[in-house]
Amino acid sequence: MSPESTVPASGGAGVHVALRDIVKSFRGVPAVRDFSLEVARGSFTTILGLSGCGKTTVLRIVAGFLDPDSGSVTVSGRDQADVPPDRRGIGMVFQDYALFPHMSVLENVAYGLKTRGVRSAERQRIVAEALESLGLGELGARYPHELSGGQQQRVALGRALVLRPEVLLMDEPLSNLDAKLRVRVREELKAIQTGLGITTIYVTHDQEEAFALSDLIAVMDGGKLLQLGDPATIYRSPRDGFVADFVGSANFLPAAAEARGAGSVATRTAAGTVWLRAPEGSPTGPGRAMARPEWFSLSGPSPTAGPSDGSLAVPAVVEGGEFHGARIRYRLRSEAFDEPIVVDEAVDVRSAARPKGARVLATLPAGTGWWIPG
Amino acid sequence: MRLSRALRDPFLVVAYLVLVAFLGLFVVYPLARAALTPRPSDWAKLLSSPRWIAAMEHTLAMTVLSTVTATAMGYAYAYGVTKGRVPGARLFSLVPFLYLVSPPFVGGLAFTLLLGRKGIVTHGLLGLDVSIYGWGGLWLAQTLSFFPISFIICRSALANLGGALETAARGMGAGRFRVFRTVSLPLTAPAIAQAALFCALSVMSDFGNPMLIGGRYRVLATEVYTQLSGWADAGMSAAAGLILLAPALVVFALQRAATGAGERYATVGSRGRGIGRDDDVSPPARLALAAFCGIVAVFVLAQFAVIAYGALTRIWSVDGTFTLAHLGAASKYGREIKDSLAFPALAASLCAAASLASAFLVQRCRAPLAPVIDLATILPAAIPHTLVGLAFAISFNGKPLDLAGSGAILVVAMAVSYLPFGYRAVMAALAQVKPSIDDAAAALGASRSRALFDVILPIVRGAVAAAFVFAFIVGTGTMSAVIFLVSFKTPLASVTILNLAEMGSWSDAAALASILCVLAFAGLAAVRLLAGRRFFQAAFR
Repeated sequence: MSPESTVPASGGAGVHVALRDIVKSFRGVPAVRDFSLEVARGSFTTILGLSGCGKTTVLRIVAGFLDPDSGSVTVSGRDQADVPPDRRGIGMVFQDYALFPHMSVLENVAYGLKTRGVRSAERQRIVAEALESLGLGELGARYPHELSGGQQQRVALGRALVLRPEVLLMDEPLSNLDAKLRVRVREELKAIQTGLGITTIYVTHDQEEAFALSDLIAVMDGGKLLQLGDPATIYRSPRDGFVADFVGSANFLPAAAEARGAGSVATRTAAGTVWLRAPEGSPTGPGRAMARPEWFSLSGPSPTAGPSDGSLAVPAVVEGGEFHGARIRYRLRSEAFDEPIVVDEAVDVRSAARPKGARVLATLPAGTGWWIPG
Repeated sequence: MRLSRALRDPFLVVAYLVLVAFLGLFVVYPLARAALTPRPSDWAKLLSSPRWIAAMEHTLAMTVLSTVTATAMGYAYAYGVTKGRVPGARLFSLVPFLYLVSPPFVGGLAFTLLLGRKGIVTHGLLGLDVSIYGWGGLWLAQTLSFFPISFIICRSALANLGGALETAARGMGAGRFRVFRTVSLPLTAPAIAQAALFCALSVMSDFGNPMLIGGRYRVLATEVYTQLSGWADAGMSAAAGLILLAPALVVFALQRAATGAGERYATVGSRGRGIGRDDDVSPPARLALAAFCGIVAVFVLAQFAVIAYGALTRIWSVDGTFTLAHLGAASKYGREIKDSLAFPALAASLCAAASLASAFLVQRCRAPLAPVIDLATILPAAIPHTLVGLAFAISFNGKPLDLAGSGAILVVAMAVSYLPFGYRAVMAALAQVKPSIDDAAAALGASRSRALFDVILPIVRGAVAAAFVFAFIVGTGTMSAVIFLVSFKTPLASVTILNLAEMGSWSDAAALASILCVLAFAGLAAVRLLAGRRFFQAAFR
């Protein structure tokens, strides 16, 4: 099968990879339950979840390394059930890179072309080009153990990309790199993906990575898809407390919804009434107001009573602060809430940290917080 | 049942079917035939005649005695070269390996030459007219023969212990001996158990030593032979072999269970190095360990020396003039030497191929019946090789498959006998290869069989090559696996040595033995070159 023949006739946008009602268990222990996902052609979709949530299992099912117990995988509308992994035309980058230790960089990158019967001269040209474009031109004769982690990672990527796969699967490809390198390779990865317009499914447990790379994020837990959305939606309007907590820091303030507006609810909290953004059709009743630390603003203590514009103003005392460079993260103790409130305040070079014991007013503007019912 | 994913590959389907047929025909079928051979009267006789009861008692006593001493000796020797850091530890480590790969009659023959009626020590130095033939000599020979197995297993466990735990214990105020008693010893206990079980299996089924120096102290392994060769009584012979199989299977089952325990401990102990490594034993203890290792090593090396001496002097214990005549005379055994190289070479190829196929299909492909294949491949480890030979002699002596007197029957019997060792080593090497490597090959368009040859085999080639060399070395020297199967058309050097020794042609026996030893040492060097020392650890798991 030549790489060209895997390019579908239809082309253009639309659903490229579709997983429908995937179920998979190992020795009776469910790993994936009723998982469905549609991935648009050319998009970058990330499956985000804690280790053991089933995300790698989903990826291995797409690659064909595992058969689902039930459910289907289609690529460009073609069912993949009877297509063995070596015929799926899917590129994969592994967490441990899985470079062949007995082959040089050149041989590793050329291997897929060889199995597809690409002739030697042609193969050499393609591989040389690929190595050049990945900045590995000098390293062709080296063996994997002679490369740094970042270089190995690039060889793994190059090895998958020379085949011009329809779909690229990546299983935590950056987790073995140190923090600084991870950010740099991440940017390169995104540039390559966008440049080639290759449909990518990426698996990670790192929410920052997911935000930086993805068009769409699928948050998974316990083998199930919890929420599918673009990064901003996932961050700002998480479906539930788990997603809210998993993708970033969050304050959860006990509250009760009393009145509904368009896409918003008025809730009563121990510190007064506040308007929150809310999913359509969410019920009134008890729940929680979710607020990211940077959604609050801090000011000196105000003598007047609380605002009446639908914001929440919580009088509090500074319990401690952590310096994060561009901002300081304060832990505040209030009379209204049992749990401390975590608030980020942007700082410049001249700002001094608020001292421990200082009295402050933490304000959550109306329509900023997010309503999580139940 | 859904067709296993791996077996969508036509080549692997064929390999799978060939492997299943091979194991069925040459492991399961002969065993079943052997099991059905004894008549009820044979069993009755076996359990009532004093001769048989004595043989059983002897086997039991010898197994218990030799297992205890061989295991303890291996542990002490291993402790000396690891924690004890005796001077020359690297050289000392080599000695048990030399002994392990030397043909099994080396011990028996050398013992006779050193301690026998005309022995250098007993007769020459001490002027005694004593005999080592009997239980005492056999005990000593078995202890020396099988301490290397204990050594390999215990050394690996002691080395894995690192030193951090001992250092920590010392830091908490424990004295050296207390540390040994409460930390080192308990943590290596699973290895000791493992070593003991391996030694027990080996002693129980050993044929060469009881044959050469057991004298009238008969054990089951030799009775199996005597019954068939002396009385042509296949029923009694098979019954004796099966009696031997029962405890062997129990020990084998225990051993597989013990492996799990050992691995649990290994994960605890394998991390970290101590800082006071030279400090694990006190100076007097170190001296004692050095003396112990020295004595054992001298004893082992003396055996090689005496065989070489016997081969190079004119008439054993009578005329000590140097001569090359015996080595020259060994050339009349050219046919035997050639067969002793050709048959094991073929057997080793078969063994290596079957080890790889079985390990790959069981571990990487989730092939149908994988647990059954695993068991059938490992099972010969529990079967005394004498019984393997006997079962082959019974099973392939007529329809449906007549291989009697052929070279093929020798080749297959050897291959089956050594299959578990190669299989374990390849399994261990495969376990080191991350599953993502297989997946990567598939994602790059390689079928399973293509991935096997392009990727997996090159990575584990050391273990496969070592499986070959190991089977070759052991096959070259073996007597037990082939004693029932050799014919005048297929003479083997090892059996010829046994015959020469029984006839009292000590010098010729020694000359032939020297040649086989040199071949074995070359083989050992090849194993270490190809697979490093880890091969032996893997093969004895």
